[in-house]
Amino acid sequence: MSAFTLTRVDAALLCCAAPLLSFLILGLTPALRRTGRIAGYVSIAFAGLSTLYAASLLQGRMFAAASPPDIGQVGWLYAGGKLVASMGVQVDGISASMLVVVTVVALCVQVFSLGYLHDEPPAALGRYYTWHSLFLFSMLGLVVAPNALQLFLCWELVGLASYLLIGFYFKKPSAGQAAVKAFWVTKFADIGLGAGLLVLYVFTGTFDWSPQAVQLLGATGAAWTAGLFFLAVMGKSAQFPLHIWLPDAMEGPTPVSALLHAATMVAAGVYLIVRTYPIFQAAPGVLVFMTFLGAWTALFASIIACSQNDIKKVLAYSTAAQLGYMVSALGAGELWPGYFHLVTHAAFKALLFLGAGALIHAVHSNNLQDMGGLWPKLKISGTAFIIGAMALAGVPGFAGFFSKDAILDVLLERHLFAPWIALLAAAGLTAFYMTRVVMLALFGKPGHHTEHAHESPPSMLAPLVLLAIAALTLGFAGTSLATAAGHEYAFHLSTSGLIASSLALLGIGVGWLAYGKNAFVPGKIPAFAFVQGIVESSAVDRSFAWSYRVVFQGVSGGVAWFDRYIIDGFMNFSAWLTQMAGERLRAAQTGRVVDYLYAVVAGLLLLAAAGFWR
Amino acid sequence: METTFAQTWLQFQSHGGFPLLTLLCALPTLFALVALMVPGEHGAVHKAISLGGSLLTLLVGVLVYQQFNLSSQTMQLADDFAWIPGIGARWTLAIDGLSLPLVLLTVCLTPIVFIGAWSAIDKRWKEFAIAMLILETGMLGSLLAVDMLVFYVFWEIMLIPMYLIIGIWGGRDRIYATVKFFLYTMFGSLLMLVAILYLYGKAGGSFSLLRLTQLHLSTPEQSWLFAAFALAFLIKVPVFPFHTWLPDAHTEAPTPGSVVLAGVMLKLGTYGLLRFAIPLFPAAMGKFSPLLLILAVIGIVFGALMAYMQTDVKRLVAYSSVSHLGFVMLGIVIFNEEALQGALLQGLNHGISTGALFLLVGFVYERRHTREISEFGGIAKRMPVYAAFFVFITMSSIALPLTNGFVGEFLIFGGSFKEGVHAAFVPPGGGMPWRTLVLGGTAVATLGIVLGAVYMLSMVRRVFFGPITKPENEGLADLTFRERALMSAFAVFVIWIGVMPGPFLKMSEATVHAMVAPSRPAILQVRAPIDYQRELKQAEAQAAR
Repeated sequence: MSAFTLTRVDAALLCCAAPLLSFLILGLTPALRRTGRIAGYVSIAFAGLSTLYAASLLQGRMFAAASPPDIGQVGWLYAGGKLVASMGVQVDGISASMLVVVTVVALCVQVFSLGYLHDEPPAALGRYYTWHSLFLFSMLGLVVAPNALQLFLCWELVGLASYLLIGFYFKKPSAGQAAVKAFWVTKFADIGLGAGLLVLYVFTGTFDWSPQAVQLLGATGAAWTAGLFFLAVMGKSAQFPLHIWLPDAMEGPTPVSALLHAATMVAAGVYLIVRTYPIFQAAPGVLVFMTFLGAWTALFASIIACSQNDIKKVLAYSTAAQLGYMVSALGAGELWPGYFHLVTHAAFKALLFLGAGALIHAVHSNNLQDMGGLWPKLKISGTAFIIGAMALAGVPGFAGFFSKDAILDVLLERHLFAPWIALLAAAGLTAFYMTRVVMLALFGKPGHHTEHAHESPPSMLAPLVLLAIAALTLGFAGTSLATAAGHEYAFHLSTSGLIASSLALLGIGVGWLAYGKNAFVPGKIPAFAFVQGIVESSAVDRSFAWSYRVVFQGVSGGVAWFDRYIIDGFMNFSAWLTQMAGERLRAAQTGRVVDYLYAVVAGLLLLAAAGFWR
Repeated sequence: METTFAQTWLQFQSHGGFPLLTLLCALPTLFALVALMVPGEHGAVHKAISLGGSLLTLLVGVLVYQQFNLSSQTMQLADDFAWIPGIGARWTLAIDGLSLPLVLLTVCLTPIVFIGAWSAIDKRWKEFAIAMLILETGMLGSLLAVDMLVFYVFWEIMLIPMYLIIGIWGGRDRIYATVKFFLYTMFGSLLMLVAILYLYGKAGGSFSLLRLTQLHLSTPEQSWLFAAFALAFLIKVPVFPFHTWLPDAHTEAPTPGSVVLAGVMLKLGTYGLLRFAIPLFPAAMGKFSPLLLILAVIGIVFGALMAYMQTDVKRLVAYSSVSHLGFVMLGIVIFNEEALQGALLQGLNHGISTGALFLLVGFVYERRHTREISEFGGIAKRMPVYAAFFVFITMSSIALPLTNGFVGEFLIFGGSFKEGVHAAFVPPGGGMPWRTLVLGGTAVATLGIVLGAVYMLSMVRRVFFGPITKPENEGLADLTFRERALMSAFAVFVIWIGVMPGPFLKMSEATVHAMVAPSRPAILQVRAPIDYQRELKQAEAQAAR
């Protein structure tokens, strides 16, 4: 033991503090920020530091799997002299491994961005890295949160950072709209988390997810809390029908998509379930709903992904689909498969997005039709992309295969046949559309821009290689990760696994047949055309747009009319009435004594008459 | 069972030392007198006098904070002198955790307002300085008075300078707006005067608030008097449907006027409810709770929808005030410790974030002489610092975590959820309708949070992002040093309260505790008898332990 030792709580605090420091340095010194690249180096250095701390924590937890979580917290909010909420860190196998996932992906993305955004003006680049640091801090704070309130605080900050990053190209109107849309949809869903928190607080007096808290919640409380939390998950993790913001969010720079909308931010939703799982387990109704909704999202998004021509949109829909897998698995009542898929998915989806970034960088277009025949020019990034695609498709041996297999296995075990079948179908579709993307982008007829394409600089290739290795090997690390998190997992070839991998291979075969030689376009097959027709009408998106435009704006307009003409109208009317009465009554004030005398006499007579009559 | 709920938190002990609070209250007026003697053409002198006077007042305010005992559960630092012996009126000023945050807000905002007015007010600086300084005295006096007559005098003093500020330095429709503002407020306060005089008669010739709370009033008496008091305060807040003076007044007022109006004057409405209306007539408060709750919730949603419909940025911010004050009202109506602490903090927060927004709108108005959203677009490119501050304050306004707005709203919602749901389920029966109403109201109110994000962010997007469409915006200059310094002051508080709310909540903690103790049972007895019985049993069990 050296004289200078860090407890795991300290290390976790430092892990979070590093990006915060970077954010403050960049935020408060405009001169440094406006240098662009140097700001990038600062941010990367702190993210690297954070990664080291995270790695040491995971290593520590691996050897201390049986020990209770390391928790350190301080009181934060008091009302009426009573403690309402604390803040701090909780390090256990789950949070430690998630810390590694988040920091590694963030580090890769930040390094990748140096090359990807080298044409941006320095001031914009500096801003970009400032937001990245903020994002990383918020995400880490979320991961280590020891209670649901801190998780919520960081959750909102993550939403803010992603709003800022999606809107990075703020001069493009579509980017501004996409940023606002993402913020609104998630903010709407976040009401669920906020309200769920309050239910938790009212029932238990804390924001904990400990067994005691679950006991205090009882069945009713747990159902409400879990149900409300799940609303927030649907928003953040893009579950049907709140997935609508995710494809639009692709307006941000591609590395941003890799970080936020594939590997980490959207994962926050699933992570919330993982963290508060004891509460969810006490709410069986919610779990069933999750299984079905997740499976439906997976199937639905996979179908849409088959027909997209924008490479980023294909990946965006596949993200929604994979999150559907996780949600469905968690709904089946087993924690580990869903969480495992979260980890592997983070690796290969970040790889896919960064690989797509390399392709986009080479041809300056997101469109698959502008690519084509890129393979000979982009051997390294092309290979990395293919590895990612195979991992996503669930080809045996790749990371996605193991976690997807575990998910399907647990669904079958619990006799949840409908979701099981939906997820199997989605697996086949996934293999199909990824093959389609690979064929259209890398092979086949060269596109318009292929001629000028060139391989990416080393700053972009290094992260790709690192993530590709992760996508290749992570599946085999499952057992040790599970042990660190206090779960048991060992790979075994199951029925579901066999069916899923055969379906995956089938999907690849069909994809290869269909697109290998640009032979035909699926829009021409009647069955496909029908599905595509439904999908392209983007009914969900339009119904939201309709309800926004007609219902919301209509109600607002009605309210405005009411305010202007009824409430204010009434006030102005009474003012007018007073004025008119004044003007009329003025006629009585003639100023002639005789008139007044008449009035007095008349009054007297009236009084006398009244007295007499009584 | 006849239970008396003594409002011990309103007790005070005259300290007999230096009358610090009287000085605090009189200082701005003294400087106004100095300004009166300097001829109007010396604009710079008037700027110096007004800024110097307000800074000195700020200093005295800080002194008061130093002298303030955070753990005391009664009124402190009381100045108590015979004032008009013939009618039994006493000059009584005192402070507690209810008024301290607002006093500090007032003394902090006034110098900021003067600095902000440096270029926003371009004529008659002398008159402006005098009006603003007298206004400060009026606000401080209303916050410190614990004698009904003194309070009423200061309450009316506030009205005149604001009437002039809107009427002289205002925009195009300033006369309509200022007359509307005056008539509305006057209407409410005259009814309050009648109620005060009635109480005065009942008490046998005393205006002392403590004395008046000890009166035995029949239920109809309480109801009528409460209505008269509450109307004055509800108009000031303003609570739906008494709000229509506000958008006009805010929009037409010059920037400094809007800042003070939003920052402090609106909060005097909620303050008045807590200081006077509720302790004087708790049973009536219980009776009117459902109505007030409904109005508060309507205000939240209504204000937000109205804000969404506005095409003028300043009007939008004005309507957002209606929505935000709805949250504060919700906390007050709920009347438990969490909700009240949240409501008090949220009042402070609203002063900070809305004050800052009005200043920001003023900055761009000075440059472009328009506030129409459609006249802008893409100005983040020309004014990056301005855009950064605006987005930042927007985040505070929509209550993003780790900004000030979050803590306040969170406590309000925590308190109202607690009121609506109870961990220990009570048997069905009485008390249920109230709880259902609270739950439903809270659920609707949460909608206001999303709507807040909708109207603020869509405005920000249309003003700041996208391409620049109007050539006039190409030449916009970014914020000057003075403007940046002002905004930084606001930003510091936004983060400070958001990250470390402790010291700010601590200011009102003891008072809230002491205030809830007598009034909550009295309110609950009327609005939810079963809850009252249960809380009584809980309290007894706790006392027995």
